[in-house]
Amino acid sequence: MASSATEEAKPKPRLIVRLGVFLASHHILFSAICCTAGVIALLFLPALAKNTYLSENALIPGSANTLFSTEDVLEANRFAKGIEAATGESRGGTEIPKFIAQQMKNLGAEVYYHEFLPDSKCFHPLKFFTSMTNNMAVKPNGTYTNFGINTIGIIRAPRGDGKEAIVLVTPYNSQRVQPNELLSLSLGFSVFSLLSRVAWLSKDIVWLSADSQFGEYTAVSAWLNQYHNPMFLSHPVTLATKMYGANRIIYKPDGTTEKAELMAFKRAGTVAAALIFKVGETRKYGDRDSVTMYAEASNGQMPNLDLLNVVHYLAVHRQGFRVNIETFSSLLTSSWLKVIAEVFHNIGTVLRKVNPDWKLDVTVPDYVEGTANLASSIYNQALGIPTGSHGAFRDYQVDAVSLEFGPAFHLRNENAKSSFLLRGGRLTEGVVISINNLLEKFHQSFFLYMLTAPSKFISVGVYMIPFALLLAPLPIVAAALAGSSKTKGKLLDECKTKGSADDLQIECGSWKWLKSARVLLVIQFWAVLVSLLPYYISQIPGAMPIQYAVIWAVLSIAILIILYAMFGSPFHAGVEWKLLKATMITTITLGMGLMSIINFATAQLGALILIPMCLFSRPLREQLEMTFLPRTILLVSSILLTLLGFPPVAFLIMNGLSKGSWTVDIVGDFWLWMEFLWEWSSATYLYVFLVHLPCWLLCIHVLLHPCHQPESKMKQE
Amino acid sequence: MAIRHYWSMAAAAVGFRLVLVLFGGDLHLASRPEVSTPLTSIRRRSMYHGSPLLLSVLGPLTNKSLIFVAVDFIAAMLIRATGRKLQIARNRSLKSLDLTEAVSNSVNVSAGDIASLIYLWNPWAIVTCVGSCTSPVENLMVVIIIYGACSRLAPLAAFGYVMATHLSLYPAILIVPIILLLGYGPDTPPTKVFRLKNSNASKTDVSYDEKSSSSRDVRQFSWKPVLHFTLWLLFWSSYVLLLSSIILNKVGGLQEMFKKYFFAEVFDFFRSFFLIVFNMNIIFMVLPLAIRLKHRPCFLAFVYTGIVAMLKSYPSVGDSALYLGLLGLFANELAEMHFTFFLFFGYIGVSLLSPVMHNLWIWRGTGNANFYFATGLAYTCLQTVLVIESSILHLNSLNRGFLYWGLVGPGPSIPLPRYHY
Repeated sequence: MASSATEEAKPKPRLIVRLGVFLASHHILFSAICCTAGVIALLFLPALAKNTYLSENALIPGSANTLFSTEDVLEANRFAKGIEAATGESRGGTEIPKFIAQQMKNLGAEVYYHEFLPDSKCFHPLKFFTSMTNNMAVKPNGTYTNFGINTIGIIRAPRGDGKEAIVLVTPYNSQRVQPNELLSLSLGFSVFSLLSRVAWLSKDIVWLSADSQFGEYTAVSAWLNQYHNPMFLSHPVTLATKMYGANRIIYKPDGTTEKAELMAFKRAGTVAAALIFKVGETRKYGDRDSVTMYAEASNGQMPNLDLLNVVHYLAVHRQGFRVNIETFSSLLTSSWLKVIAEVFHNIGTVLRKVNPDWKLDVTVPDYVEGTANLASSIYNQALGIPTGSHGAFRDYQVDAVSLEFGPAFHLRNENAKSSFLLRGGRLTEGVVISINNLLEKFHQSFFLYMLTAPSKFISVGVYMIPFALLLAPLPIVAAALAGSSKTKGKLLDECKTKGSADDLQIECGSWKWLKSARVLLVIQFWAVLVSLLPYYISQIPGAMPIQYAVIWAVLSIAILIILYAMFGSPFHAGVEWKLLKATMITTITLGMGLMSIINFATAQLGALILIPMCLFSRPLREQLEMTFLPRTILLVSSILLTLLGFPPVAFLIMNGLSKGSWTVDIVGDFWLWMEFLWEWSSATYLYVFLVHLPCWLLCIHVLLHPCHQPESKMKQE
Repeated sequence: MAIRHYWSMAAAAVGFRLVLVLFGGDLHLASRPEVSTPLTSIRRRSMYHGSPLLLSVLGPLTNKSLIFVAVDFIAAMLIRATGRKLQIARNRSLKSLDLTEAVSNSVNVSAGDIASLIYLWNPWAIVTCVGSCTSPVENLMVVIIIYGACSRLAPLAAFGYVMATHLSLYPAILIVPIILLLGYGPDTPPTKVFRLKNSNASKTDVSYDEKSSSSRDVRQFSWKPVLHFTLWLLFWSSYVLLLSSIILNKVGGLQEMFKKYFFAEVFDFFRSFFLIVFNMNIIFMVLPLAIRLKHRPCFLAFVYTGIVAMLKSYPSVGDSALYLGLLGLFANELAEMHFTFFLFFGYIGVSLLSPVMHNLWIWRGTGNANFYFATGLAYTCLQTVLVIESSILHLNSLNRGFLYWGLVGPGPSIPLPRYHY
């Protein structure tokens, strides 16, 4: 009695269940609204940028008077003359380290050389998940005539306990020193010589004059690697690795003890922060000198925002530099962006009238500039490749920033040069003072942010809104698709199905998705194989990039066909397309969620391409049965989006948008680009091949699905 | 009904493990915190916290993972045998209820095959096997307990029990399903069902003799195997203690081992508090579950292992590999489980999320321990959903089964419990 009563008066499901059912039944409308809102929110981001502020009170930038004076400028000039004299005597490039070491020694600093070898190209996209110590697995072996020499000086802090250090880096090419590199070296030396005299240091100062003949990143990362992972090479390896010429040039023929001292790797404490500064080429005369900040490290990591704040504050408000960040200059002049800016300005003014607290009405030039900067910031983070040698520091959790000084005068102009050295030295000294004040590691301010201007940022809480909006419809759509196929399935196999043993599980009710999961697993397996192929392909010597790329493509297709022959093609497996699409959408949700943690910018850009593509995907055969207008719209948009989603095409468009130039050799360029990504062990490579490509292939499967199968099955039964 | 290509799939799983053992050195699985916990890791022998017996067996071996491959294979075979035993027991109890029709009608996939394949191909089982930690051995011991109890081999069950508790202490709660299994047998329909059958029979005027004959089939709790088990338990435990004392003679004797057992697993501060919180949670659930699921001791054992995997200190994916393998034994009952899609992708998502969060916390420094902890929470939630869903479905399927077999009529006299959530 009681049971029948409860059966009749079925309890009303909970609110959240009803809400879910409601959303699932309107999933098309819901996903359209969410995706549009996501794109609009993304375009709104430059208007939502906030001004930066200093979070860490201990930094107090600019509170102390800088001691860097004209004396130090004279010192710098003397140093530059010395280097010019040294290089004038002998070409070959090993005179400069010797001279720098001598000068540092004269200041009373500890000096040593660090020899390193250029990185060989190797395939390690999976390095992301492994620890840094694995770098040491590569043991040099053989003879090398070509190697770099870093010269390092350490000042022990008079008031410190030697547990922390600040690293200053000046990269220069030891083979051919340019006048601007000479200027940055002398700037570095003058700051170092000043710091060797001051009494207030509580952190050791390390000056690394990095030999950038193989690229500055290689030099800095080789030094950092040895700094953090002491190498205990066995004797034979040390013997086998001979760097020819080292003995001849650096060491005096008699001084064996001195040699040992100069080659012994010395360390200071934990690196608290690092500042890389170099003087760039003169770009334009007359205007103020500028400083360009580079901050993006590997996989979209950024240094703590406080470090950038200190640099920006001192450079702008104390030393009168103009501070820039990287920008897409092609966007600055684009007319469509101006139209969008106008629209947003108008919306902003209306909103401001509604509530004066909403300050969304950015002016048109501000919006355009912010968008260009933001686009560059997102692009650099999404690539996952560091924009300079600061990236090497970030791999060891050290906050670092690269400053490229852009002098606005000719480098022969002595007066302008002196004034520049004075201000540059004061800026560097000021930053060192601030970092020296720190009691803890940088932790107060943001790590996850994007810059729209040197003093404007978008924090993680704001920039994830567009992404969350884009991602929100996916679980709903997946639930709706799986649910609808389940109800249909129940009608179908209400009767007991009798089949072979392993089919039975799949046929009945809630385990029907197993077939589509099998398709997914096969495709994912294929994707893993495709992503590993370049390791073997790149072993083939002496081929053009386009040849590599063609081999890659052919092998991938062959593997796919073999896998289908082994595990059964999804077209014959009789998988319902709705379940296939639900599986695809769930995979995208998982992949995007993971990628947004690893590298948010990649996930953001990927979501823009992938999510509309998979939401629009419906079997073409089913689309043909619709009326004309929706049919054409759906057909055109799904085919267009699928075309866009193909990684090489997506790459072509990204490349064209970022550089403003459209290349013809897509295939070869795609190979080069991928090579670039895996050499830097960027997680973007993993994203492209383990998330993007499988989802694209699943999308193709959904589009080409022969959707008449269930009906024929029903007839048979 | 057996699964096609069972042996080729099993061989492929073993081959895959061997390939990973021999060539997967770059994966560094042994250093993943999800795979080898401080309690199960044998990578750091100087800080080995596990059983001294196991160390003396495994210690001298150079490639320990090969042993684990064999161990995993044995465990899978035992799971398969357990599945067979369960099926036979089930068919027998159906026959004893004169339901031969039901036996031939019900399309039964060989659950043992499915379960052993799940165990062999479970990526987590593979990862724990390759990652050289002691979890495969612990899992094997638990499987031995269940197999021994199902086939009523008291010495084997006692050996498994002694070894499993010696290795990790948590399987101690499995004493309840062991005693139930030994006492009642693997599949005992509740006595209520027999009474109902008899009342149904009496309606249709069946003679008294038949009634009495069927009521004789109601299996009573038999104490003999349980006593047997207890004796063997005493024997094996004294044997293991003796061995351990011989091995530990050099490093301070048995006292050291007990100290380690009870106190190595938690922090120094709040030791007693943590001990209570961690372990009471598990112990609280033992009795209610035992009362509710006493007719299906094997399923009870699965629920216990699931709960232990959820609530133990230093959980690892190896624990999950065990209960997911056992879950396959009930494939027939769980064919209509809810949320399977969600659970499957949830498990995949969590197992990918965990290394990413770990990287963010340890290597990048932009995240902190809470990120990793959140993944652990999500993982526990998934396990909770799995255990609750499967228990609800199991209980419902029991009831529905009786309804289908015509034992519990839809008549008004018997309220049929249904489980909603």
